[in-house]
Amino acid sequence: MSEQPAILTETLTKHYGEVKALVDLDLEVRMGEVFGFLGPNGAGKTTMIRTILDLIHPTSGRASILGLDSREDAVEIRRHVGYLPSDLSMYPNLTGRDMITYFSNLRGGVDKAYVDDLAERLQADLAKKVGDLSSGNRQKVGLILTFMSRPQLLIMDEPSTGLDPLMQREFQMMMREVAVEGRSVFLSSHTLSEVQRVADRVGIIRNARLVDVEFVDDLRSKAIRTVELQFDGPVEADVFAAVPGVRDVEVASHHATMSFDGKMDTLLRTATEHYTLVDVNTQEADLEEIFLEYYREGATV
Amino acid sequence: MLANVFTKSLRDRTLSMLIGSISLGIMLWFGMVVYRDVDIGFYYENLPPAILDLMGIPATGDVAGIAFGAMYNLMGAFTLAGLAISMGAYAIAGEESDGTFGLLLGNPLSRQGVLISKAASLLVMTAFGTLVLWGFGLVVPGILDVDMSGIDVTALMLALFFNALVYGFLALGLATFTGNRSLGSGVAVAVMLIGYLGASLLPLTENLGDWARVFPWYYFSGSNPVVNGTDWGHITVMAGMIVAFFGLAFVGLIRRDLREKSVDRTIFDRLRENPKTQKVMEKIAGSARVSRISTKTASEFQGLLVIAGSIMFYLGLLMPIFYTFIPEEFTELVASFPDALIAMIGGADMGTAAGFLQAEIFSITGPVTILVVTIVMGARALAAEEERHTMGLLLGNPITRSHLVVEKSVAMVVYAVIIGLATFLGTWLGSLIVGLDVSGSNLAATSGLLTLMGLAFGGLALAVGAATGRSRVASGVSTGVALLAYFMFSFFPLSETFAPWAQLSPFTLYLGSNPLVNGMALVDGVILAAVFVTLVAVSVPLFSRRDLRG
Repeated sequence: MSEQPAILTETLTKHYGEVKALVDLDLEVRMGEVFGFLGPNGAGKTTMIRTILDLIHPTSGRASILGLDSREDAVEIRRHVGYLPSDLSMYPNLTGRDMITYFSNLRGGVDKAYVDDLAERLQADLAKKVGDLSSGNRQKVGLILTFMSRPQLLIMDEPSTGLDPLMQREFQMMMREVAVEGRSVFLSSHTLSEVQRVADRVGIIRNARLVDVEFVDDLRSKAIRTVELQFDGPVEADVFAAVPGVRDVEVASHHATMSFDGKMDTLLRTATEHYTLVDVNTQEADLEEIFLEYYREGATV
Repeated sequence: MLANVFTKSLRDRTLSMLIGSISLGIMLWFGMVVYRDVDIGFYYENLPPAILDLMGIPATGDVAGIAFGAMYNLMGAFTLAGLAISMGAYAIAGEESDGTFGLLLGNPLSRQGVLISKAASLLVMTAFGTLVLWGFGLVVPGILDVDMSGIDVTALMLALFFNALVYGFLALGLATFTGNRSLGSGVAVAVMLIGYLGASLLPLTENLGDWARVFPWYYFSGSNPVVNGTDWGHITVMAGMIVAFFGLAFVGLIRRDLREKSVDRTIFDRLRENPKTQKVMEKIAGSARVSRISTKTASEFQGLLVIAGSIMFYLGLLMPIFYTFIPEEFTELVASFPDALIAMIGGADMGTAAGFLQAEIFSITGPVTILVVTIVMGARALAAEEERHTMGLLLGNPITRSHLVVEKSVAMVVYAVIIGLATFLGTWLGSLIVGLDVSGSNLAATSGLLTLMGLAFGGLALAVGAATGRSRVASGVSTGVALLAYFMFSFFPLSETFAPWAQLSPFTLYLGSNPLVNGMALVDGVILAAVFVTLVAVSVPLFSRRDLRG
């Protein structure tokens, strides 16, 4: 199964009457990678996920998951997929433990020790009724449900909603571990910072169309950062201006600030060759800028 | 005045009030059309005024009196009161458990102000429903050219209005005082049903008649306003109750801590938290409950089952006993009733024990009880998973859509069978205790047919829910079809024009063969079962071809 792509869509299209929710989507998600699916609200992320899971039917085009046809083999696909919907709703009268038992029964059993392990890592309260949990704690139960059967592919729609920063980090580690084991994660999100930390590649969707697919590292090197360098003595602007990718250098005594979209390695090497570097501060706000560009209507990329 | 809380509460309820009151108006129309075809001179020649009075038929009236008695006095009162109860119970307690009350009080509003706005909207909405009924009551007889002499529509409407408010404010008072919405609506419905039975049945006995005054329903129906005009004493009593219940809500809301968004804790939950019972309950309420979709589905409706099952069991037990209290002259008299009047009380011959049981248990109460359960379960089976946004999570598991349909149907079958069993056991035990001349196997047959009819309508609700994904549409359509079917069964045979159509009604398949007297009608039973199985089978493709929500 591992030779097959985790997700493969061919001109996948979904119309709701006049509304085009998804247009000619061609996408491949490989095994062993965490794939970030980025786009603003209403871009078509959830539509795409619900289509490949056979909750809604495509208007045209096709999708295969783990080499299986999304419509013909829907049940077999779900056996190997963990799915976390967005705006997670559960049965408010059941406890977290009940939810896990229920879904484990529907899946024909899961590894109980692994469930306990997940619950401990996420510090989930499984004794309380789901309806009495805060949204973050409810989300933890949802994450356990998604991870517990050790699926080949995890499809998660806005999964870190409500999680505190510590839990987000734990969750990101869990996703990386999945990728290391050769399994895949398909992570839909509208926040860059999350995807950037965990994903190998990102696809960007806007207005129902896939705009671009990139390796996160490439994106990062494309990104224009603001870099602040602090030295133990006065510096000259020309030294930095010579480095490829550097623009708008401003120097104030021990301090140099510049816009930068090249390789960080080159910049730092140049800086340390000439001076003694005390502190480095880079702001990634400009990476956000790139995405905002992608997001904006009619933007050309 | 919190104009927007008030208007929002009105807006939320207008549609259901319109649907409820308009369908009642249409049924009044139907009733008058059918009765116009029938010779009802019999009543006025043969029946003593006291009996006419009891049946809600005006002594000098005509078609109009009977139709008003059948439609507005009973169904109209239940419908209006039911809508008022749902609105009253939700007013404050519902906003609390939905977590929206805190949001509301995040604005510069006082608790009392919100309560007053909610109470005002309850008042206005009930008045609105009453006005729609009033409109039909005035217009329909005019169009059909029915004689309205001796009928006081205004007095009936006034009584209907106050009666509905009594239960609406009872629900508002209890729910607001405790912060528990289901407690409020549950108690109010129970008081209404018990009151209706008490106020209608006790006056038939020789000695217990005065006890009817204990029940609120007595102050609605006791004076028979449609015939006798407004009894201001009774209206005052009802108004007093309304004020007292509002006071309860007011005091309770000021004093207590507001609840956060929460889910109700059932007795199972409490037992599950108690260390002594934890281990056993963990099995029953925990792992067994979620072992598969059908058991999980069943557990969602356990409260409904307990209420419906006990109603049928205890009524079944009580009615045979009650029958022995009724004076013989009364049963003899009822035995001589004409068909049209008998149709009004459910097509049963009250002169015999079997007929009495049919009238009190099997023709109205039984069908209403089982249909509430099967229609609610059927309508919510698939549609509610979509509406609650749990369908995606559920179908994220390796199960087919047809498997889901079957599992949900299994839960419905099990519950319908349990209610059928409760009905049989109750009536059978009751009959044994007082030595009533009713065959046990016939009781079993009738209960069995009742179960099958319930499933037929439950199947319809399932299919509509599968096709639309909307539980309200599913329960609305099924309830509408059930009302029409009841109408076809009980009233169509009275008119030559309509009589053949009665055969199409599931109610005719259920009671048409008179199973309490004649035993099991196998063919009718098989047809009902086939209808159910067909509807479940049809639900699968209807459900599978759809884009799901949630």
